[in-house]
Amino acid sequence: MDALLKELSKLETLTAQPPGKNKTPSISDSLDDLIATLQSAKADVNSIDEGSWNSLAQTIEARKKDIDDRQKEIYSATAKLGKAVEKKFPANLPSYPNLFESDHAIAALERTIALHLLRTGQFDTAHTFLEESNADIPLELRSQFIELYRILKALRNEDIGPALLWARRHRAFLQSRGSPLEFYLHRSQYIRLFLTSDPPNPPPLVISYAQAELTPFFHDHQAEFQRLLTCVIYRPSELKNSPYADMASPSLHLELEPLFAKEYCASLGMSRQVPLRVVADIGGGGALAKIEKCRRVLRERKNEWIQRDELPIEINLPPENRYHSIFTCPVSKEQSTEHNPPMMMLCGHVVAKDSLQKLAKSSGRVKCPYCPTESLSSAAIQVHF
Amino acid sequence: MTSKVDVEGAFLFEQPFARVPYENYRKVFRSSQKHLEREYGAIQSAAEDVSTSVKTGTVKRDEIASAINEMISRMEMLKRKLSDLHDSAGKPTQDVIRERLQHMATLENFNSTTQVEYTEWADQRLDRWLVDWCLRHGKEKTARRIAREKDIEVLVDLDLFSDIRRIEGALSEHSCTEALAWCSENKASLRKVKNTLEFELRLQEYIELCRSNKKLEAISYLRKHFISWWDTHLVHIQQASGLLAFSSETTCRPYMRLYDPLRWNTLIESFRRSIYTLNTLPSEPLLNLALYAGLASLKLPACYEHSTKNVDCPVCDGETGSGFAVQGMGLGKLAEEVPSSYHANSTIVCYITKKIMDADNMPMAFPSNGYVYSREAMEEMAARNNGIVTCPRTGVSCSFTELRKVFIS
Repeated sequence: MDALLKELSKLETLTAQPPGKNKTPSISDSLDDLIATLQSAKADVNSIDEGSWNSLAQTIEARKKDIDDRQKEIYSATAKLGKAVEKKFPANLPSYPNLFESDHAIAALERTIALHLLRTGQFDTAHTFLEESNADIPLELRSQFIELYRILKALRNEDIGPALLWARRHRAFLQSRGSPLEFYLHRSQYIRLFLTSDPPNPPPLVISYAQAELTPFFHDHQAEFQRLLTCVIYRPSELKNSPYADMASPSLHLELEPLFAKEYCASLGMSRQVPLRVVADIGGGGALAKIEKCRRVLRERKNEWIQRDELPIEINLPPENRYHSIFTCPVSKEQSTEHNPPMMMLCGHVVAKDSLQKLAKSSGRVKCPYCPTESLSSAAIQVHF
Repeated sequence: MTSKVDVEGAFLFEQPFARVPYENYRKVFRSSQKHLEREYGAIQSAAEDVSTSVKTGTVKRDEIASAINEMISRMEMLKRKLSDLHDSAGKPTQDVIRERLQHMATLENFNSTTQVEYTEWADQRLDRWLVDWCLRHGKEKTARRIAREKDIEVLVDLDLFSDIRRIEGALSEHSCTEALAWCSENKASLRKVKNTLEFELRLQEYIELCRSNKKLEAISYLRKHFISWWDTHLVHIQQASGLLAFSSETTCRPYMRLYDPLRWNTLIESFRRSIYTLNTLPSEPLLNLALYAGLASLKLPACYEHSTKNVDCPVCDGETGSGFAVQGMGLGKLAEEVPSSYHANSTIVCYITKKIMDADNMPMAFPSNGYVYSREAMEEMAARNNGIVTCPRTGVSCSFTELRKVFIS
């Protein structure tokens, strides 16, 4: 990229206004020079004869040459910049005719974009977008997002009230997900009360808060509960140098926002990450380049990509984008399906059902391909990931 | 690739990002050249005239004086025009190029996709793509709003697309003027890629003259504008000449086709293709291309089975939530159009913790029903329940020690 910026700088110096220092005169200098010559000829118009006119005509031609030279330099600087751009960005984007252009697809995209704008809190833009498109996002859902941002804003302002209200209302849902949200909200409030209290004794307020609000969580969060109640033996100001330093860390409060957003979205049936960002990042972060490269190689080998419904190569995904278990049978290299599920043998090794049947001898015994164990194929059980 | 930034892969999308302002700059250069040639040519020929009359001795003093005056004012005008051009177009375009190249350069300097700066960069990229998508789908207000609010106006091509809209608007009103002006602005580039848009436009104007029965005008139009296409488009020109003999009500197939008003729509498409090609813009929105690759990388049969859906998976797209039951109306719907991902190796994700299980966090199976969870999740559950673990999907309980280790190779 530095090479590109260098070419651009050259072009900028050549065309700078007012002109900088260069080997050749700038166009505006040449024009100034010519205008001055013409002015003096005009002042002395009566003494013009063939000789002096010819020299004036020569000046006009000479300046023309200067200007042309400079234009040529600019032209070649521009061309060089163009070459550098081509070198840095050599590949044309592929074309996928009619991709996502059907009415159904456009409706799905409009819906996705509208939800994305709402999800990321861009309510005014979302409003404009909804006016310009046919996406129909129910008002109720829209106000849910506005509500989400209201609660998040309160959290940022150290007010857990609205978040707590929501968490209480959705307690059953949160419990089914094993979410610590409500406990963490109280924890944040408790620590805040403690840190702002006056030493030496933790005021009754802090303790009574713990009694009233934290006790119900004793069962699920025993260890953390005990630490919370013990940490008050330190002075608030010393907490950050104590074994309970993590309690004094601001992240204890900051992590509430993403945690809340995640649970809130889950309650609406939405993912913890912003889905459009996730997909666009994977596609734009190398996946398309890999797919295209593979397609090119296949084309060169005159090998058409036969299985249209499956990518010809594996795109590695970071752990946070692994949403499902994938079982590829180590024997057949096939992905498991409902009819060909993963089976675990007595030794704990897993192969697909079809492979298991092929490995079984007529006696019904199977020698595990990965360890010395021999077992009955009927002893293998189906596993569910 | 887990956390390293794939610069090359990202740059695949950015060719137009660099090319659009570059093409704009070339246009600025061409118009400076045009000004120069016109004004300077004029004073050169004026000087020539004076030279001849000076030589023959027929010149009058006041004629020389007025010739010089004329030259001075022309040169002053030229100087002003060039400097205006630089201030209003040249310099701003250079700034846009610089801004964009620097934006690309920052990407090269990131070490990991988990860096906050990278996240911001990627946020901005998605905003750019949304603007591109909106501009291509006639949602100009949204596009402008995003560009303004996200302060990315120099990073998106609002002007290019408003040109496109203006010219396409004219074409849909059955006027070729704007499109022809665009063709002449980009004559050299169009010729280089053997683009025939100009011929198609000229042919349309000629057809319109025939339609309104202006035969003589049609003939002179034919002579004037088709001559340069003689070598390459002779057959078309001959057929066009035949049009003079047919009225617009004709039922003769080839001529009916020429008179067909739908030909205007084809012109719009062909104009759009031309301007995209010239700026190396892909024919599909950038967002669509990114989504295609992204969805294909994620899509699995499991996304479409109720029992294995995951609310966090973008392809699974709703449906599992307890709130709004959105049944694949967004990304899940789009994913139907793309191929599934391919996997040579197993990846087992824990149902409870959503973490990938491996040798350090082994999968453990309930002995009675084969449901598998990560050791981490089971240990935590056992610690809380006196060593008893319960399968959250089937409710089966057993002691932690009874769980069977699962080996995935």
